[in-house]
Amino acid sequence: MLTRRDFVLGSGALAIAVSVPLQDAAGADAAGSPQFVTAYLEIAPDGRVTLHSPTTEMGQGTHTGHAVIIADELGVALDRVSVVTAEPADPFRRNGQMGSGGSWGVRFWYQPLRKAAAQARAVLVAAAAAQWGVPAAECRLEDGEVVHAASQRRLGIGALAGAAAALPVPADPALRPKSELRYTGRKVPRVDLPAKVRGEPVFASDVERPGMVYACARLSPVFGAELAGFERASVASIPGVLDVVAIPGGAAVVAQHSWAALRGAEALVIRFKATPHDALDSATISRQMRAGLGDGAQPINARADGDWAAVAGSAARLVEADYEVPYLSHSPMEPWNCTVEFQADGTLHVWAPVQAQDRNRNAAAAAAGIPAEKVRLHTTLLGGGFGRRLGADGIAAAVVTARAAGRPVKFFWRREDEFGQGWYRPAQAARLKAALDADGRVLGLHVRTAGPALSASFSPQGLPAGQLDGSSVQTIRESRYRPGAFHVEWVRVDQPVPMAPWRSVGATQNGYFLECFVDEVARAAGRDPYQLRREWLAHDARALNVLDVAAKAAGWGQPPAKGRARGMAFVESYGSLCAEVAEVSLRAGRPFVHRVVCALDCGSIVLPDGVRSQVEGGIVQGLSAVLGEAVNIAAGGAQERNFDTYPLLRISDAPERIETIIIESGEAMGGVGEPPLPPLAPAVVNALVALTGKPIRELPLSRHRFA
Amino acid sequence: MKITLKVNGATRTLEAEPDMPLLWALRDVLSLKGAKYGCGIGTCGACTVLVNGRAMRSCVVPLKSLEGDEIRTIEGLGGNHPVQLAWLEEQVPQCGYCQSGQIMQAVALLERMPQPTADEIRAGMNGVLCRCGTYPRIEAAVRRAADAQATRKEG
Repeated sequence: MLTRRDFVLGSGALAIAVSVPLQDAAGADAAGSPQFVTAYLEIAPDGRVTLHSPTTEMGQGTHTGHAVIIADELGVALDRVSVVTAEPADPFRRNGQMGSGGSWGVRFWYQPLRKAAAQARAVLVAAAAAQWGVPAAECRLEDGEVVHAASQRRLGIGALAGAAAALPVPADPALRPKSELRYTGRKVPRVDLPAKVRGEPVFASDVERPGMVYACARLSPVFGAELAGFERASVASIPGVLDVVAIPGGAAVVAQHSWAALRGAEALVIRFKATPHDALDSATISRQMRAGLGDGAQPINARADGDWAAVAGSAARLVEADYEVPYLSHSPMEPWNCTVEFQADGTLHVWAPVQAQDRNRNAAAAAAGIPAEKVRLHTTLLGGGFGRRLGADGIAAAVVTARAAGRPVKFFWRREDEFGQGWYRPAQAARLKAALDADGRVLGLHVRTAGPALSASFSPQGLPAGQLDGSSVQTIRESRYRPGAFHVEWVRVDQPVPMAPWRSVGATQNGYFLECFVDEVARAAGRDPYQLRREWLAHDARALNVLDVAAKAAGWGQPPAKGRARGMAFVESYGSLCAEVAEVSLRAGRPFVHRVVCALDCGSIVLPDGVRSQVEGGIVQGLSAVLGEAVNIAAGGAQERNFDTYPLLRISDAPERIETIIIESGEAMGGVGEPPLPPLAPAVVNALVALTGKPIRELPLSRHRFA
Repeated sequence: MKITLKVNGATRTLEAEPDMPLLWALRDVLSLKGAKYGCGIGTCGACTVLVNGRAMRSCVVPLKSLEGDEIRTIEGLGGNHPVQLAWLEEQVPQCGYCQSGQIMQAVALLERMPQPTADEIRAGMNGVLCRCGTYPRIEAAVRRAADAQATRKEG
């Protein structure tokens, strides 16, 4: 059935105007009640507001941020606003695609959503004013009601919704002054938490459909290998197993319940075709990346400030260090799954935990052989994303399985395939050099990174030879440091290992390379690493402030408790500047983080507690990665297949204290989900080096011995 | 086989494979979706429920070992349990997928140890993974729930 909202979204007007109520007076829901509907907002007769958000809620709190923006600008209580993720359509697209990544959720949508709410407010006020025969300028929308103070009349927005839907919407309504915003910048409870704390079924894996069966995938252990064949008889005796279906990259065992499907997937005798990389291993990848650091390789230039060759030639001394990091798994706690149903009217419904709506809808349509408009993509809440759900690698197999089963299917991966199918944070190597004069002054920096191109693997269009992979030099290319000459380049070393953006993307490894090298240079030059950073940022008051705030709060310069040392790092990513100071000791020979101070300048904020929770999460995830995470490759596939060998951080290793200092500099709003993560690894490593005196140039730390 | 369990106070008889882990019986047979599949080998704790008052990883507990046992899941806490209220006060969850397991683990911990130290909280909660990094708030929420229960007893 075509709802009124479908019609709004399908109308051509929306391509040019993102928030346009229907221009006829017949606004009504299925029950015939009048309501107000735009692409983003629905106002029901009872005054409840539903926001169709352009973003996926995967824990970062954007749905709450969006609810706050709407509640404030419209003028309703926050608990009157519900949020769902929209289906793909132009009003929800950024650069032509609907998706959630790049820490864009609040900073990009802040203005469009405010405008949508202001437009709704304008027509609701106009509808009340017309009914009362008073000038609209004398009416205000407060707490869900339009109020005419002089005559003490008031009308709820639900009662006005039908009349408002008939009125022309102003193109550029005035926004409320900051003094009228009730929730923005204040601590508010997250809208999605009550259901999560009660264990309510909010995730894709919780979706049930009438007549549904379950299908568990068995996928190739070698990246990208295709199915050669399987023995159906090998699962025939498992009670509950219904069928085995060939899917891209393997097979799916269809069963009456998850357990039978899972057992079947484990027991299935299956063969895969050979690939050219059946013998690939981490040692080979490492050797190839490190060869990319040498003179024979062909670098692509990313930055060339000043004349590095000249300063290197005249330098009294060169400091040089090679670094390397492994592939990392995103490991969202919810393994990949989706529920697929072909309906009698020719539509295909998919309930899925996705960060990239258009990409997944298009992949589902292609697999089903139907137009994308026939696919109804219902984005559920996600049990974690971190970039892993930006791809569409799990959809086609689910559609193929549902087609074969002839009934609704819940399709899922085992944790082993969530680990084994890749789309990792890239492995990368780097060589950094600094030129120093006879007095220890720094004359210039030279950075080369070498590794596989994230964009070649992740982008549907790939990356043409000779072009720069931005994430391979991210944060170094645009670093605010002025160390004299500053040369940055990258050497492409392709690998068949699939990759995807991992929370903070290239800033994770590049932040580690550059910030640990700054400390190595400071040590070689006999400088305090904080003061060296200050010198390189002397021209930049905003960056200096972030650094100073963190240093002061952490007590930089005062001796830490016995057996402890501090390390500092400063990394800018996704429009926000972030400095962290970690205080570290060794506990039974293992690094332990007592305290992390984080100063984050993200311009301005909507949800202070949301920012804090993202800082805490970024620090914990960053610590998890630096302490022990690595995907090791052997025989063309991942060796780590579950949490027994891929050690996510547990609470016993979490920092004892995290102190977050939010700096609202008033600059353009920056991202928050990713920027707190990259400084953590170098801050911890720098602290350990200060503690032990030994450089650490390979991650994770579990590869090193600390006496 | 037929097996009878007491689930959140109600007697439930189900017909299922004896080797089926409790997790799948809860989710697929009884439609109790709070406990989650995370790893299938008992390492992540997303499937944690209470069996006769003890926190267990339901993904590795076969039904045949549970005849007559008392199972508590997050659905049985009622929504106003002190641990759930503390979780809301501290605004703990991010994605939320692990949080049913975290909350049930915390309930078991506090029933056994009403006033845990910081180290005891960390030891008691160590079996449940959270990828979003909510550990600092989990620690604060367990402490808050313990304090709330102590205050209630004194009052």
